[in-house]
Amino acid sequence: MKDTGIREHGGSHRPAARTAIACIVVGSLALLGPWGSGIAAAQSAGCPDAIRIGMVFPMTGREGRPGTYQVEGIRLAMELINAKGGVYVKECGKRLPFKEILYDDQSDQGRTVQLVERTMSSDNVVAVIGAYSSSLGQAQSVVPDRYQVPWISPGAGASPIYNQGRKWIFGVLAPVELLGYTTMKFLGSLVDQGKLEKGLKIAIVVENTDHGKEYVEGVNRWVKENPGAFKVVYNESFQMGGTDFSGILQRMKAANADIFLSDAHLQDYITMHRQYTQMGLRHRMVSYGARGTEEPARKALGPAADYIFAGIWWHKDLPYPQVKAFVQEHKKKYQREPDSYYPSTAYDAVRILAAAIESAGSLDRTSIRNALHKVRLTDSLLPGQTLQFQENGQAMTPFVIVQNKPGDKVDFVYPEDSRTGEVVTRIPR
Amino acid sequence: MGLDDLLNLFVAAILLAGIYTAMSIGMTVIYGVMKMVNLAHAGFMMLGAYFALEMSQRLPIDPLITSVLAAPVFFLLGIATHRGMVRFVPVADEPTLPSLLLLFGLWLVLQNFGYAVWGADDRSIFTPLTMATFRFGGIVVPVIRLIVFGIALLSLVALHLSLQHTWFGRSVRALTQNREAGQLAGIDTGRTAMLAFGLGIAFTGLAGALLANLYSFTPDFGGSFMLRSFVITVLGGLESFSGVAIGAVIVALIETFSILVVPANYQHAISFILLVVVLLVLPGGIEGLLQRWRRLR
Repeated sequence: MKDTGIREHGGSHRPAARTAIACIVVGSLALLGPWGSGIAAAQSAGCPDAIRIGMVFPMTGREGRPGTYQVEGIRLAMELINAKGGVYVKECGKRLPFKEILYDDQSDQGRTVQLVERTMSSDNVVAVIGAYSSSLGQAQSVVPDRYQVPWISPGAGASPIYNQGRKWIFGVLAPVELLGYTTMKFLGSLVDQGKLEKGLKIAIVVENTDHGKEYVEGVNRWVKENPGAFKVVYNESFQMGGTDFSGILQRMKAANADIFLSDAHLQDYITMHRQYTQMGLRHRMVSYGARGTEEPARKALGPAADYIFAGIWWHKDLPYPQVKAFVQEHKKKYQREPDSYYPSTAYDAVRILAAAIESAGSLDRTSIRNALHKVRLTDSLLPGQTLQFQENGQAMTPFVIVQNKPGDKVDFVYPEDSRTGEVVTRIPR
Repeated sequence: MGLDDLLNLFVAAILLAGIYTAMSIGMTVIYGVMKMVNLAHAGFMMLGAYFALEMSQRLPIDPLITSVLAAPVFFLLGIATHRGMVRFVPVADEPTLPSLLLLFGLWLVLQNFGYAVWGADDRSIFTPLTMATFRFGGIVVPVIRLIVFGIALLSLVALHLSLQHTWFGRSVRALTQNREAGQLAGIDTGRTAMLAFGLGIAFTGLAGALLANLYSFTPDFGGSFMLRSFVITVLGGLESFSGVAIGAVIVALIETFSILVVPANYQHAISFILLVVVLLVLPGGIEGLLQRWRRLR
């Protein structure tokens, strides 16, 4: 009995030990299970099949056309990158293709915020490219810091968006203030060359948005720095989407200015310049800020669009090989050449994001954000060929000045080293 | 500003009033007979603009003439819309939620139809007349605006004559004044409503086609014009055709001359401030004021 007892005990001890060991092993496995599967999940989340990019643009509504063109630029860049296998992500040890998650905000400020929140919170995106126009960009820009997702705008240029101390926002467009300043620098260079007289009077009519305000700031900064060169005699703003500008133009006429500078979106530019011409107004030089060369405007205005000059972020005739390649690829994919800067900045937004992901070697959003602050795209399509974000997240590429010429021609007229034609400083009657 | 500048402003305001009248009269016809606020107004204006564009590209005649063709085409479209959906909305003496929702939904459908067919690109009509002007002393008159004003005026005269001298016109006026009395007098309310809806859409389409000669447009076109039409219709007294014309002149004059005292970026707000003031002080609009004045005489 004793033996039996001992055996029983011993017998009972060994199975108990085995049971205990088994329990420990099973328990450990059970404990390790979620951890192990957690590791697997983390790897799977870290190295998905594709790099998901949220895109929120106005595809319809007031800004539908530029928004659509920007989406086309993004898609072209993604397609070309994906054709090479995608972006190399070091922590995954392989190339991953881009995958778009696109939303149309219908040019609506409220809707655009909702959609950016949605894609940042629910779509598992590593970054968001969004917003054409400064007003939609302003609305979207409050969201990225909340969700800590890098956000790149290829179409919002107003610097107040980037000067709020936000850490997760980036903009490919140089500040609109620089546009106003460059426009004046160009006019100043014409005074230096004796093509314009000193002391000419300037009338300014801009849209009452951050875009317009900043343009005026740039003009005023240059005028202040160069006293006596020009005199601003009229400065008025208007509400976007105007149907009648006769009052504002009549008052401008009374100011008797020599040069007319405006900053307007495409539809307002067309409406205003039609009325301007119909009212028989004449100035020596006319500009609508960054507008002027767009094909719909030239169709809508006919010869009245000739000699308008514009400060632009990009033009398809920039003499860089990468621009030529881009224009060819664009034509191949969409059966037309780009007629505005819209697809080019969007294209570069994808390329600089790809460069940042490669530099980060990871799909971790913070690493990508940090890399975006450091990377330089040295074959950028934009003037100067180098795209880099400043500390506030906004790019600072230079503007070039172009002037429409008869026969749908466009000449680069400033800076001097990129000049392709003579500037006309007195619009012929 | 000199006298010439002020006269130029006045001419611009009167020409603008012609455009405003043309685009508001359709809304008034529909409200008068059917007591429906046509929230699809902007959608039909947009279709009118694209109609003018398509016709101008297909027919070798002036876009202004093809714009006039919009009236009969949109009359038929209006009849079809009434037969297909609007007639199912219960008849009432004031705008009802179903009618508002139906027409708002129709606007969205038309807008999306526009995007599907024409895309989001800015379109425009450009002819040698687009930028032509003639001078009368120091006054500069844009030819295209003058022609659009003339067509709008002629169509108003045609509307006035048809309302005064045809059985349909008398039916419309009767139903506008008192639906039940009209029914008792033997008016076929269903048929009159259908024709009135067709007429309203015909004017709206015509206005859109005319505006296409002045502005660039996208499928989003018409929204700001619809809001102005609403202001003018309320100012006119909702059901009065002469009130609409006077209302359009008032809105155009105020908007144009306000630049002399108010910053230009408040120009849009002025119409809506006017709307609030009219609703508070003059709920019957100009027509109500005229009726009161006639009674006092």
